[in-house]
Amino acid sequence: MFTLVLTVCGFWAVEFAIFHTDAYYTILRHDSSTGSVEMSIRNELKRVRNSPRQVLAVGDSRMGFLPRYANELETGYEFGTIALGGATPRDWYYMLRGADPSANRYSAIIIPMDDYEDVEIDEDQSVRAADLYYLIARLRYSDIFYFVRSYRHDPKLEWAAVRGVVLKGLIYKRDFQEFLLHPTARIQMVKLARKDSYQWNYNYVGPNENMEGVTIDWKNRTLTVPPGFTDEQKAAYEYRFLSPRTPYRGDRTSYMHQWLGKIYERYRGSKTRLIFLQLPRGPFVRPDQPAFNPHSSVRELAAQPGVILLPEHLFESLERPALFIDQMHLNGPGGAEFSRMLGKQVSQTLDAL
Amino acid sequence: MLFNTTEFFVFFAIVLAVFYAAPLAFRRVILLIASYFFYLSWNYKFVVLLLGLTVVDFGAAFAIERAPANRKKPFLLISLAANLGMLGFFKYFNFFADNLAQLLRFPPHSWTYSIILPLGISFHTFQSISYVVDVYRGEQAAIRNPINYALFISFFPQLVAGPIVRAREFFSDLDRWKHPSEEEVLRGVMLIVLGLTKKMVFADQFAQIADSYFQNLAAHPGGWAAWSGVLAFAMQIFFDFSGYTDMAIGMALLLGFHFPINFRRPYLAFSITDFWHRWHISLSRWLRDYLYIPLGGNRHGRLMTYRNLMLTMLLGGLWHGASWNFVIWGGYHGSLLSIERMMGRREFEKRPPLWLYPLRALITFALVCVGWVFFRASTFADSRFVLSQLLHGGKQMTALLPRWLVYLTGASLLIAVIEEKFEWTDRLSRGPAWAYAAFMIVLLLTIEMIGVTEKAIPFVYFQF
Repeated sequence: MFTLVLTVCGFWAVEFAIFHTDAYYTILRHDSSTGSVEMSIRNELKRVRNSPRQVLAVGDSRMGFLPRYANELETGYEFGTIALGGATPRDWYYMLRGADPSANRYSAIIIPMDDYEDVEIDEDQSVRAADLYYLIARLRYSDIFYFVRSYRHDPKLEWAAVRGVVLKGLIYKRDFQEFLLHPTARIQMVKLARKDSYQWNYNYVGPNENMEGVTIDWKNRTLTVPPGFTDEQKAAYEYRFLSPRTPYRGDRTSYMHQWLGKIYERYRGSKTRLIFLQLPRGPFVRPDQPAFNPHSSVRELAAQPGVILLPEHLFESLERPALFIDQMHLNGPGGAEFSRMLGKQVSQTLDAL
Repeated sequence: MLFNTTEFFVFFAIVLAVFYAAPLAFRRVILLIASYFFYLSWNYKFVVLLLGLTVVDFGAAFAIERAPANRKKPFLLISLAANLGMLGFFKYFNFFADNLAQLLRFPPHSWTYSIILPLGISFHTFQSISYVVDVYRGEQAAIRNPINYALFISFFPQLVAGPIVRAREFFSDLDRWKHPSEEEVLRGVMLIVLGLTKKMVFADQFAQIADSYFQNLAAHPGGWAAWSGVLAFAMQIFFDFSGYTDMAIGMALLLGFHFPINFRRPYLAFSITDFWHRWHISLSRWLRDYLYIPLGGNRHGRLMTYRNLMLTMLLGGLWHGASWNFVIWGGYHGSLLSIERMMGRREFEKRPPLWLYPLRALITFALVCVGWVFFRASTFADSRFVLSQLLHGGKQMTALLPRWLVYLTGASLLIAVIEEKFEWTDRLSRGPAWAYAAFMIVLLLTIEMIGVTEKAIPFVYFQF
């Protein structure tokens, strides 16, 4: 019996030492989902802070916030970001926990929203398997209950989440097998990619391509693209602007309530303000805009102390083809303008408190 | 419920808990209920077949024992007819019907039916036959307790794919059941984890290469690709089947039963004769005792010995599946065994000197690999294509095995060689706790990091 207990304890200890410490990070591929989340958080943790008034942005790829432009305004606030392509509100919560372990580091957290009305989207984000891969390095044994329960709509994923949190190697498996193919090259690549990665990201200015020349005839529901655009691009634009809206299921409201609520709970009573903004909707604005929803997640949160909703039409001036690289992402000039506007607005809002 | 699924381990944990919590008198019933539950979880419809054959064989053995010497045979024939009849119908009806239709120039599939192969039928019928024949020969007393007999046939660790256990081995454990010792518990747990490692780390990784090759031969021309595909299958089938067997033996051990070993590092064999002493040992033993020896074995001269070897291996091949490819595979091995006999039996049973051993083992492995082509390819035409690629596939250097799988092959060879020399895995359960724990930790981490865990790939031998 002693031998079996020793085996189980030994296995747990080795597993813990590899995956619950920094050990695996030294070989983790920097551009994998987990690697990107980790690099983003660790860069934020080691960022040199020149002001006590820190502001941090979260978000996904649509959050075209480039802190450099906001910082150049010298508002007295210093901006940083951990926004990451593909990250969802569930990821934001755990990423914030990683970047701000004691929930007192920032004057404000900026949280971007596609809209303030909880408009339904095709994907049910509560059962997004990728989140497990994004967050695996952030999850602790104590997260098992809450994190796993958040997958309750899909028992298979719920079980995968239990196994993943307990045995993290199951989630790192693909990365590790890739590492085995070229171990030396991986270690060198990871070292190189992480060296100065904060500076690379900070100095990133975004692409200059734009959507000028694309036109939409809303009446006849047709979209025209100039030469040079591919059929796939056209199909993606048509899907974004001309396809019928996803019928209301309530999934989005419930999901946003859960995770925005969780972020709010984390900062409730602290000095940190939560600032919500509605992102520029795109190069074109659909005529069938969602109706005002007084019970949407952000509007209900806005009634709480410490939560601020920026005016929803604040960035309407950026909703032009010249400032977008595709149907939903700002290009370089768009990102620069957006970052300046947001930096200014946030600092004014905070100063006015 | 596959052995490599969470559901199965939950099931097994419950069985273990209930088995040991129950009074001794109820334990057989608990195992029987668990075994039938396990069978029902696959396909409830065939439980009648399993139960029916159990009743027939139980009754036949009882009647054989009680009947006077000259009246025993009809009962034996009834049992054989029932077992072989069911096996023949479910496994071979379509094969023979299709071949007959082709022979008589009827359109293909004229007389075939959609028949589902009942789980484990090839194994439990062989086990039943061995029991009834042993009773007929007077080597085994007929079992009086129907629960004991039903458990012998349906015992879940070996119901699906063996090892084929002899009645006297099983009943000796059952009648004198003893709580497993600490060493047996450690060995049982180790075998389960080792079996899982073989299955999920080795077999399932190699399966992906073998499947991608054999499922689309035209996409992978060239000798290197062919050798990679065949080598991958050779590794897959060994690790898959021996992994399953290790788990079956380990689980039985935890329940207080001792199954015979089924594999003894077969790819280190120095001859085909030696290979069959190491590969699927319980089947080889069954074929020897219930087919080869009754046919006359080697008692009637050289020619009859070759004939008996060929017949045994042809039927052994056919036992694996209803296809000419399996028959050819059996015939191929029968021919190689006969050739070795012709060249001198002792030469191929005696271990060669150390300097010659690697070469002999390599030749044997290559010959076995050639045989696997018939075993894995879907049709005879596919087999011919792969063989032609193996022998003169041109200079295309596209090997399908990624480098780390080549390392894995090398590591497994090294482990096998050390095991052959020292039998250290057996010693581990008797050795110091730290050594056992260290070995198990490595296995568990390997499963975690390298094993195919996203999906449960069925065991190859489950289809037989």
